[in-house]
Amino acid sequence: MGADSRILAFPPGTELVFGPQATRRQHISEQLALVMRGWGFTEIMVPAFDGRESAPDDAEEGSLYQLTDREGRTLMLRADFTRFVAKALAAELRRDNRQIRACYEGKIFRFQPGGHGHRVEQSQRGLEWINAPGRVYDAAALLMARECLAAAGIQQSVIVVGHAGFVNGVLGEAAGERRLLEALDHKNPTRIREVAMRLGMPAGTVSLLESLPMFTGGPEVLSRLASAPLPDAARAALDELAELQALLAAAGLNEGLLYDLGEVRRFRYYSGLMFKAYHPRVGEELGGGGRYDRLFDRYGLSVPAVGFGFDLARLAEAAPRDGGNGPAPTRVAAGGGAVALRKAIELRAAGRPVLLGEEEA
Amino acid sequence: MLRLAIPTGRVAKQAEAFLGRAGYCPAEPLAETRKLTVPSRCGRLEYLLVKPVDAPLYVEQGVAECGISGKDTLMELAPDLLEPLDLGFARCRMVVAGKPELERKGDNLLSPVRVASKYPAVAQRHFAKKGAPYTVFKLSGSVEIGAVLGLSHFIVDIVETGTTLRENGLVVHEEIAECSARLVVNRAAYYARLEEVRALLDNLKAAVGS
Repeated sequence: MGADSRILAFPPGTELVFGPQATRRQHISEQLALVMRGWGFTEIMVPAFDGRESAPDDAEEGSLYQLTDREGRTLMLRADFTRFVAKALAAELRRDNRQIRACYEGKIFRFQPGGHGHRVEQSQRGLEWINAPGRVYDAAALLMARECLAAAGIQQSVIVVGHAGFVNGVLGEAAGERRLLEALDHKNPTRIREVAMRLGMPAGTVSLLESLPMFTGGPEVLSRLASAPLPDAARAALDELAELQALLAAAGLNEGLLYDLGEVRRFRYYSGLMFKAYHPRVGEELGGGGRYDRLFDRYGLSVPAVGFGFDLARLAEAAPRDGGNGPAPTRVAAGGGAVALRKAIELRAAGRPVLLGEEEA
Repeated sequence: MLRLAIPTGRVAKQAEAFLGRAGYCPAEPLAETRKLTVPSRCGRLEYLLVKPVDAPLYVEQGVAECGISGKDTLMELAPDLLEPLDLGFARCRMVVAGKPELERKGDNLLSPVRVASKYPAVAQRHFAKKGAPYTVFKLSGSVEIGAVLGLSHFIVDIVETGTTLRENGLVVHEEIAECSARLVVNRAAYYARLEEVRALLDNLKAAVGS
């Protein structure tokens, strides 16, 4: 039995999907692809692994899967599409630094400690809009994300909008303080105060940080801070969000959006807009994205860009169960030989689904 | 209706009194019922009664939108949850305790410090910071005896009054953290059901310390 279970079981957190759920997920992915193509995006296919040296040197690396090839080179599995797509396009952009619309589908791999039920392998569909500067593209990315959710048949979802520069702007020199960022990320005012005081931050900053968890809601959270004393960087971030909000409102497209000024960036490359989509029935975010204007710096390029990705498994959880069903197939008994084959081919030629198999008792 | 995970046992009684003050009186006594779910009389909450160590998991997975959990459990499990309110009850301290004078046994001067705890992850993190070799044993109860009988040099545990430590001839060597019951909220529920969560948060906040 012991040997059997080792042979049969995949590592915890890997993806195994078969049956109606897989069909539904595939259907959702196709709907998303249609939206992306509808906005002029073209599929890009990138490697599933790369040299370890391409990975960032920050905290995210704890989640990387690493392997060694036969020549002793350390490799890592793709943990995130944005970096891989950026690297894939860098040479092309060096030749001609133009606008590119790329969309993708594939798996990412991120280690997660066991016992929490987290998946280490996730299927994503997303897009990267390269050389897309400014608020109009931010707004368009949000609208496309919303269109993707609608195309997947998902209602009641909310998109939560934040800005990578706001919390960091308020923190100033303390922007690298892991404990403080953790407390902000958990929206834990007691802990925020405790850590900020210990760091000797000014009383005004401590109170502002402590109140950030309350700055989640409609557009009013932006105006509530309009007259508050803020460091320049935080003020600039707030102004950008207010501009984005005004743009969306002017276009009449402001519905279903929440703002969260306490949002801490999960990826170091985010430089402006950040957003996540949630659904009341799914415990984790359906997807998210943001602006990354500095990611191409390492390739000697100045490229403003924005992108997002959705987790297909979570979309399938949030989507209605009845999606993606076609007409019922016609059964054809395989025992019929040439007649059966001809019948199957005729049905297929008429565009009908066929089940060729053993006759049912 | 929001679902709120409540840890059974020590915390349930205090949680019940607190929730009553906040206007969310359970339809039947939480500490005595054998049911697994109990609604609040106001109909705005459903209580989900679970083992203390499981409460964060139910919330993290979204089975319950919110929960009450001791900080000690949150420190040990490090779940990915929002923790917007210190509820102020079930106060205790997470400490390193041991005999007043540390005796290292054996003749290996580099032998690792031995630590026994119901909170192995907390113990691990704390001793890893010291840069000296250590070994952590996971125990399930009566941790004090580990230090008394020499299984370990230290224990990492929660203390309320310190009576158990004193009666066993142990003293607190270091304090790791102050603990109390916390409100935890699922990330998705926080945004997707913002109004309900905000109302709960406001009402509980008003009841803290009252």
